[in-house]
Amino acid sequence: MTSAVTIPRHGGTGGRTAVAARARQVVKAYGSGETRVVALDHVDVDIARGQFTAIMGPSGSGKSTLMHCLAGLDTVTSGQIHLDDTEITGLKDKKLTQLRRDRIGFIFQAFNLLPTLNAIENITLPMDIAGRKPDKEWLARVVDTVGLSDRLKHRPTQLSGGQQQRVAVARALAARPEIIFGDEPTGNLDSRAGAEVLGFLRRSVDELGQTIVMVTHDPVAASYADRVLYLADGRIVDEMFKPTADAVLDRMKDFDARGRTS
Amino acid sequence: MTVLKTSMRNFFAHKGRMALSAVAVLLSVAFVCGTLVFTDTMNTTFDKLFAATSSDVTVSAKDASDTGETTSDNGKPPVMPASVLTKVRESQGVKTAEGTVFSTSVTVVDADKDNLSPSSGAPTIVGSWNGNDARTMKITSGAAPRGSGQVMVDKDTADKHHLKLGDEIGVISAVGTHTARISGIAAFQVTNPGAAIFYLDTRTAQQTLVGEPDVYTNVNVTAAAGVSDEQLKKNVTAELGTAGYKVQTAKETADANRADVGGLLNVMKYAMLGFAGIAFLVGIFLIINTFSMLVAQRTREIGLMRAIGSSRRQVNRSVLAEALLLGVVGSVLGVGAGIGLAVGLMKLMGMTGMNLSTDDLTVAWTTPVVGLALGVIVTVLAAWLPARRAGKVSPMAALRDAGAPADAKAGAVRAVLGLLLTGAGGYGLYLASAADKAKEGSLWLGLGVVLSLIGFVVIGPLLAGGVVRVLGTVLLRAFGPVGRMAERNALRNPRRTGATGAALMIGLALVACLSVVGSSMVASATDQLDKTVGTDFIIQSDNGQLITPQAVRAVKDTPGLERVTEYKWTKADFTTPDGRTLDGTAITAADPSYATDLRTETVAGKLADAYEPDSMSVHEKFAEDHDIHLGSKIAVAFDNGSTARLTVRAITSSDVVIDQGAMYTSIDTMKKYVPADKLPLDQLVFASAKDGQQDAAYTSLKSALHDYPQYSVRDQTDYKQALKDQIGQLLNLIYGLLALAIVVAILGVVNTLALSVVERTREIGLMRAIGLSRRQLRRMIRLESVVIALFGALLGLGLGMGWGATAQQLLALEGLTVLEIPWPTITAVFVGSAFVGLFAALIPAFRAGRMNVLNAIATD
Repeated sequence: MTSAVTIPRHGGTGGRTAVAARARQVVKAYGSGETRVVALDHVDVDIARGQFTAIMGPSGSGKSTLMHCLAGLDTVTSGQIHLDDTEITGLKDKKLTQLRRDRIGFIFQAFNLLPTLNAIENITLPMDIAGRKPDKEWLARVVDTVGLSDRLKHRPTQLSGGQQQRVAVARALAARPEIIFGDEPTGNLDSRAGAEVLGFLRRSVDELGQTIVMVTHDPVAASYADRVLYLADGRIVDEMFKPTADAVLDRMKDFDARGRTS
Repeated sequence: MTVLKTSMRNFFAHKGRMALSAVAVLLSVAFVCGTLVFTDTMNTTFDKLFAATSSDVTVSAKDASDTGETTSDNGKPPVMPASVLTKVRESQGVKTAEGTVFSTSVTVVDADKDNLSPSSGAPTIVGSWNGNDARTMKITSGAAPRGSGQVMVDKDTADKHHLKLGDEIGVISAVGTHTARISGIAAFQVTNPGAAIFYLDTRTAQQTLVGEPDVYTNVNVTAAAGVSDEQLKKNVTAELGTAGYKVQTAKETADANRADVGGLLNVMKYAMLGFAGIAFLVGIFLIINTFSMLVAQRTREIGLMRAIGSSRRQVNRSVLAEALLLGVVGSVLGVGAGIGLAVGLMKLMGMTGMNLSTDDLTVAWTTPVVGLALGVIVTVLAAWLPARRAGKVSPMAALRDAGAPADAKAGAVRAVLGLLLTGAGGYGLYLASAADKAKEGSLWLGLGVVLSLIGFVVIGPLLAGGVVRVLGTVLLRAFGPVGRMAERNALRNPRRTGATGAALMIGLALVACLSVVGSSMVASATDQLDKTVGTDFIIQSDNGQLITPQAVRAVKDTPGLERVTEYKWTKADFTTPDGRTLDGTAITAADPSYATDLRTETVAGKLADAYEPDSMSVHEKFAEDHDIHLGSKIAVAFDNGSTARLTVRAITSSDVVIDQGAMYTSIDTMKKYVPADKLPLDQLVFASAKDGQQDAAYTSLKSALHDYPQYSVRDQTDYKQALKDQIGQLLNLIYGLLALAIVVAILGVVNTLALSVVERTREIGLMRAIGLSRRQLRRMIRLESVVIALFGALLGLGLGMGWGATAQQLLALEGLTVLEIPWPTITAVFVGSAFVGLFAALIPAFRAGRMNVLNAIATD
């Protein structure tokens, strides 16, 4: 029985505290019988609105699976996932697509941008697909925040890795989704570029009130979050609020040691 | 060995991606093998037929053709007196000799005067029932004909027209119409090549076909035991004397027949092989594209191979080995499919009346060899360029982040080369259109077509950029961002889009070119008809039968006609003032009123004067070539007649469509030199109604010719329509054959899309993750496909119309003066191409839609 259903008591934004997404008794298993592998084992989790949540854990702990399930990219074996008031488990592909398009933003580790579209086209793509007009003022603010104003007409191949990830962040922010999911968004970047991207994510939470969930295995990246969830063997084993890189690293070492002795 | 193993693994790992290329090879090889098997089978069938129908030695009249075909201009078969039969019987080594009478210058009708002749163009044969025929025909009901009131019909014809014993039928020949009742029905014991055969007894056949008793067209001789055909021929020739008769052994007759049919079969064979060649050409594009894309997708893998020590040659060879496997698989299946195709064609022929037996199916050992060699060589050659490119992949590629393969840029070399080729092609076409000699012009035309085609293929990737953008602006913008992404995707690899479009371009260019030439032909002829034809009705046969005197009489007796013009045609040996003798030159003999019926322009003299006694006209080119002026005399030695010295009284323009190259004289002049019984029958008869009685006269003419269903009477409107239908039919046949090339091109579009969907798996995953619906995704791929197809169509139609217009300019020398672009056809092809694009995208779009988003993102 794992649980991270904790309404944050010391929320960073100090204002509204509500749940943007919640998972109840989520199980994700692959295969059956002998070869059955349980990636998520009865996970309960609440993602607080307006907060930056990091999910950590060793390889194979199920952290990416959890994110994919929360984001409606993957189906669950049992349990429910709600995005705000909408139950997304059991939704058909059409509804799920719409949900991802209108209410969720994504930042992947790599290959975030369409090579045929330039930066600004990539940023507005989700809205274009939905047939919505982007909010000009907001768009300008987002672009400004990620510092890309002078690179909007560049194709992805003409941008550095860090710039590409910033475009991806801008795209995730531009449509004002309820929640942004990041899958190791800085995994492919050097520490300076990574710090830049994480800084933007932090600022979008602080200044724009964005909700962000990020999967990472980098303690430094996790230290930008308000709250860190630790996964191991498909269960949530711990959480930490207001983390620092050192604290996160210590905790990780701790798990490693425990893992070895048990 | 490792190279081969890697190739094998790659081949089978990507068998899905190879499948379409294999189908393209299969189709082309199948078409080649099908054609070969079919024509070989036809040859076998005819060989058997000829071997079965020829007697040991056949004696026929001197004028008869080698094949024993018994027709001549005067509508009666060339005959020999009965004394020949007696003499043959007296020859040494003769076991039996039998005189027969046959004619193909006949039409047979049923009691309702409906034509019983085959519509396929196969002959109608009426002849005497004799021992030789009894070997190949078996009477299945009734009895052989006896007496003038009886006729026996072949079973195929009887079945087709529901004839039964006792039915009345009429045999129309130059002698008249003979009616008889069916006494028996006989079935072919050999393959019936589609002919309709009617038997009379010998005396009735002589009367009906020749109008004289005791004459024979052939004497069939069988040899006594131990006498060879050659010996028998010698004996018979010795008895008959050398002059006056044609004596042939069974082998000679069969050879002559085979040469006759073989010529036609060869034309068909090479035409079909030509279309197979076009399909191969299109297939090359598909194969190049497939291998280019596979190599691009495998760049990282190849880089790794290079990094761990594979040489360029090994990489190169591994790709070629894959191509070899593809070629072998496609060709082997193609050979099999080809035999199936041949059987299908035989069944199809069966429906038109020619019953080919599958027992005769002939697969020469060369057929599979040719098919395999062609398929394998073409495939390996096509894979050459991609293989070279694979060899050039640097070991560094293994280390680079793969992602989607880099977009290929169209290079400057390509631009220069393409422009040069297209320019040279364009100049060739210009020279062709400006040429004043048809021969020289057609050379330029051929050169221009080939160069401009290659030029367009080379420059295609560059044009793709511009054309796709224009198409995108016009068509795709309506679809919003999905349309825009489709446009960008079509643009991202211009070389690929160019090659895919080019494959479609080739087929459609030919379609456009032919449709322009075809409709220009119709328009030019119509224009000429309007300008020059001054007659109301044209009477002609639809299957090459000449018009019998009885039918001409019926026309002349029709009320309401102002004049009737007869038109005959024969061959003569001309001796021109420059001292040259031109054997077998065509000369037209008509009534003087023909000068009014067809107002052919003259460059010198008056055409009416050419119909004066001992006068004639020549056409301009002929006059120039042989230094002929008004007043020149030409010695004209008529076939079957004597020599006339005719004065040239008019020189006609060569720039005409109708009666091009005709040289006229009057029928009266001809009659002076050709004996009445040798006078050719009319080719055409023209009739003009009295003023204001056109409609009534048309109806009367039709009913006057009701008893002669082999002739059609048409007024100008109907004649134009018939002309149009005729050209339309021909074009449809060619379009049908070109469909093969177009199908292969469509496979190419499917293949390109399918492979690019695989290539863009991650992109598709990303787009799906950020909210692109399945429907939008599918639409995006469909639009991309439509754009590629329209790009190919635009290029092809443009190029083809250019070719067609040039050909028309060139043919203007031959009277094709009016250029008409068939816009409805062109538009239909363009719109059709959009649907082709939609169709081609069906499966790739479906597969892309089904892709699992997570897997797509995770794909390396």
